[in-house]
Amino acid sequence: MSNKKYAIILDDTTCIDCKACTLACKTENNVEAGFFSYRNWVGEIENDQAVFPNIRRKFRPSQCQQCDNPPCVHVCPTRASYQTEDGVVLVDYHKCILCKYCMTACPYDARYESHDKHAIDKCTFCYHRLAEGREPACVETCPPKVRKFVNLLDKQDENTKLLQTEAIEVQKPEKGTKPKLYYIK
Amino acid sequence: MLIKNPKLSRRRFLAAGGAAATVLAVGSNVSVMKAVASSKNTNTGKGDTKHIYSCCAVCVNKCGFIAEVNNGVIRKLNTNPNFFKSRSMICARGNAGAKIPYDPDRLKSPLLRVGERGEGKWKKISWDEAYSYITENVMKLIKEEENRSTIAFAATEGMQEEFYLALASTIGSLNTVRHPTLCLASNIQGYSSVYGTFPDGDLLNSKFVVMCGSNRAEAIITPDTIDMAKNKRNQTLVCIDPRATKTTAIADKWYPIKPGTDLALVLAVINHIISNDLYDKAFVEQWTVGFDELKESVKKYSIDWAANETEIDAKEIKWLAEEFAKNAPASVWYPGRRSSFYSNDVYYRRAIAILNAIVGAWDKPGGLVPKSAVPLKAHEIIYPFYDLVESRIDTGKLDFIKDMVDEYARGVIPTDAGVYLSEKDGSWPIFREAILKREPYTVRGMFVYKQNPVESVPNRAKTLEMMKQLDFICTIDTQMSDTAFFSDIVLPESTYLERWDPAHNLSGIQPIVVFRQPVIEPLHNTKSMFDMWVDLTKRFIDIPEFWEDTTEDDKEYFVEQFEKMLKPEHPIEHLIEYQLSGHKDGFKKLMENGCFWIHEKPVFGTTYKKGKFKTRTGKAELFSQRYLDKGLEPLPVYTAVPQPEPGEFRFVVGRHGQFTHANTQNNMWLLEAYGDTENACWISAKVARERGIKSGDRLKIKSEVGEETAKALVTEYTRDDVVYYVHGFGRLSQGLTNIYKKGASQAAVIKDYVDTISGNAALHETFVTIEKA
Repeated sequence: MSNKKYAIILDDTTCIDCKACTLACKTENNVEAGFFSYRNWVGEIENDQAVFPNIRRKFRPSQCQQCDNPPCVHVCPTRASYQTEDGVVLVDYHKCILCKYCMTACPYDARYESHDKHAIDKCTFCYHRLAEGREPACVETCPPKVRKFVNLLDKQDENTKLLQTEAIEVQKPEKGTKPKLYYIK
Repeated sequence: MLIKNPKLSRRRFLAAGGAAATVLAVGSNVSVMKAVASSKNTNTGKGDTKHIYSCCAVCVNKCGFIAEVNNGVIRKLNTNPNFFKSRSMICARGNAGAKIPYDPDRLKSPLLRVGERGEGKWKKISWDEAYSYITENVMKLIKEEENRSTIAFAATEGMQEEFYLALASTIGSLNTVRHPTLCLASNIQGYSSVYGTFPDGDLLNSKFVVMCGSNRAEAIITPDTIDMAKNKRNQTLVCIDPRATKTTAIADKWYPIKPGTDLALVLAVINHIISNDLYDKAFVEQWTVGFDELKESVKKYSIDWAANETEIDAKEIKWLAEEFAKNAPASVWYPGRRSSFYSNDVYYRRAIAILNAIVGAWDKPGGLVPKSAVPLKAHEIIYPFYDLVESRIDTGKLDFIKDMVDEYARGVIPTDAGVYLSEKDGSWPIFREAILKREPYTVRGMFVYKQNPVESVPNRAKTLEMMKQLDFICTIDTQMSDTAFFSDIVLPESTYLERWDPAHNLSGIQPIVVFRQPVIEPLHNTKSMFDMWVDLTKRFIDIPEFWEDTTEDDKEYFVEQFEKMLKPEHPIEHLIEYQLSGHKDGFKKLMENGCFWIHEKPVFGTTYKKGKFKTRTGKAELFSQRYLDKGLEPLPVYTAVPQPEPGEFRFVVGRHGQFTHANTQNNMWLLEAYGDTENACWISAKVARERGIKSGDRLKIKSEVGEETAKALVTEYTRDDVVYYVHGFGRLSQGLTNIYKKGASQAAVIKDYVDTISGNAALHETFVTIEKA
């Protein structure tokens, strides 16, 4: 068993939608140009009740939730999508046959078709950086440091403790995917 | 909870049976996922990977980074943990910078116009041919006009700008014009008139921040933006803006103020603080002059009056005033940066400076703090004294200025002359008008460096008219800006990732020094501004007629200094060494850390240590005798700016987080992050309902000076009386392939009124009508 289980804790009350995370990810991971090609993004929380001047804007950065119970892995017919011991969901590009079942199965719209890789692609938590003790590019570059990259099994870590001390929400909990992007309320 | 992803749902796209998404051209072919270690040392790459320190140039902040270069190709720009000014971040634009050298739209060789101006027909020429063309034209114009100032020089800031200004001095023209009068000239003027300096707001320690007319979330300034966002949970932020900008996402309150009434709000706040004894008596007594006059002059500005003017609730204004005073000295009415709003802008800037003074929030943690700098040595060249040089075109009494000031402001600002901050800066709107009017003499040539006046200076038609009038235009840039597109000759500059730049002081509460070194070799036939200045100067040295109006001694001395500067094998590297030579191991430390600092600790209290302000009286001047002597209002007085008639809207200008001025819109990576290939006109949901306008409808936006077409963006995020669209679209240059003729241009519709106290443009004084196209 791995002694690591990676997750990201986000305090998106400080997010200003600058999209540094998106650009850092695209350069770090050589994601091709294109309006549909991105591994992470910033959305805005919609409020139909918001009528001038009673406006409350809020941004929500997101990416692959690295689910503990990943539907994309379950539906993949070739096992191209798989989960590492430390809980990161990856795609083996060589095995991918572009059937796109995973894109349909993912409740978070986290996957895209990469024309460069001829495969489905998505956030890897910058797995190649982790081996060298570096944080994912989105975490490192963020101006207000919205994201905190943590090892859930390191209970002594100040950031991991936030999961106990702060009110936390996850996206679409009803899907039972057990996402590992934790948002501080 | 609904989360609106501004991008299309890829899944939904899939479900709809859509074909593969459109893929824009791909710039680089770097290998994927090559694992590399972060290294603080330069050039200690393992294998074929190098990590090289330098700093960004996509906006003015100049954030330090470590470039990761793989086989001579930039793979990524990573944060420099030493660079505390940015709190070790790189924004979207900084990250996208990694793609700039590989942009297919880059200028790759000197180009000479072969068709008509603006026809887009160019011939690639050698640098030699380019220099010959330039020197011939310069010589011709100087000879014919018997005036070196007949050649104007426009530039925006940058770490090589000094070499461009050196070219102006070498040629001998006094007509330089820079960016501040499209930006912060009135801000600097206003604050300096009170404190003798333009301070920073200490947003790291501030408990109460008022962001009025500034949009720090979308116009990133380090460290302010980052400190303010990080302090979301322990700082009160009040955002005052006619639009709910992204700054409102981290604000505690948003007041959609009626545009043009900011001064009414501040004067009422000052009055409330004084009349309720909430001000800092000890500070006022010891460190200010003119308090009694101020007290008297603001008496008439009641909270109820201001509520009526500004359309902000009286209770809120009272709360604002009291909280501001209560949190002092850790409260800041944020100075902002671009202040080119109205013709009377300086009075508003003076008022907010005064407000911070009366609560004693000066030079203490959390208040306004004068900038500090790391002392650097400067390399100065003495230029020859030429006889054939007329003084600047935008100085002294100028008849046409009265037409550049709207009626409402004519009583409170000069209408016969314009002032500017420094000889080098000038005033863009006045400068252009003088060229157009050929007053007091004819300007026939122009060099433009890095700036794009066609899209940056209000009233685009006038700028194009001015260019039409010129016999010779040379533009130096990295891309085919609109200005380059209408030039005769275009010189390609190496990007900031391909050249050495001198050390640069980033003054502030935590001053730090940055520099640039090439992270890759130039990809194309480009040169740095330094090289262009050197090459052109060598050409001029060899032309005897060039020196006819100066003495032999002047020429010799100049040539001697020039040659001395070029003696070292790497002149800029040598220059940096000299700049840092006042600090023990300064150069070494700069190279080892990617930046240089003396200590990281914020600097507070220098004013108190010195015992005086840098003003005439040595105090913070609430009442300005200097202004009175000049015939200006010695205390800020409120003048109501005109409001739009029914059926009209005020056009407001603002920034966007993915774009620097009109500079980065053509970068496809940033365009994607922005989320569209064109801009859209914000229009309030209520007005849109009344007029049957839906998002996506094409709208004609028409002002007195121009008309543009853009699609509508119907939103609750704006007042009913304003419209807005993002800057930098609707471009005229065919060399900007991603944004050519996409969306609407701001410069095309904005009128060119001016604030004559600072020379600043007044960009918010334009009314437009809207109809469906």
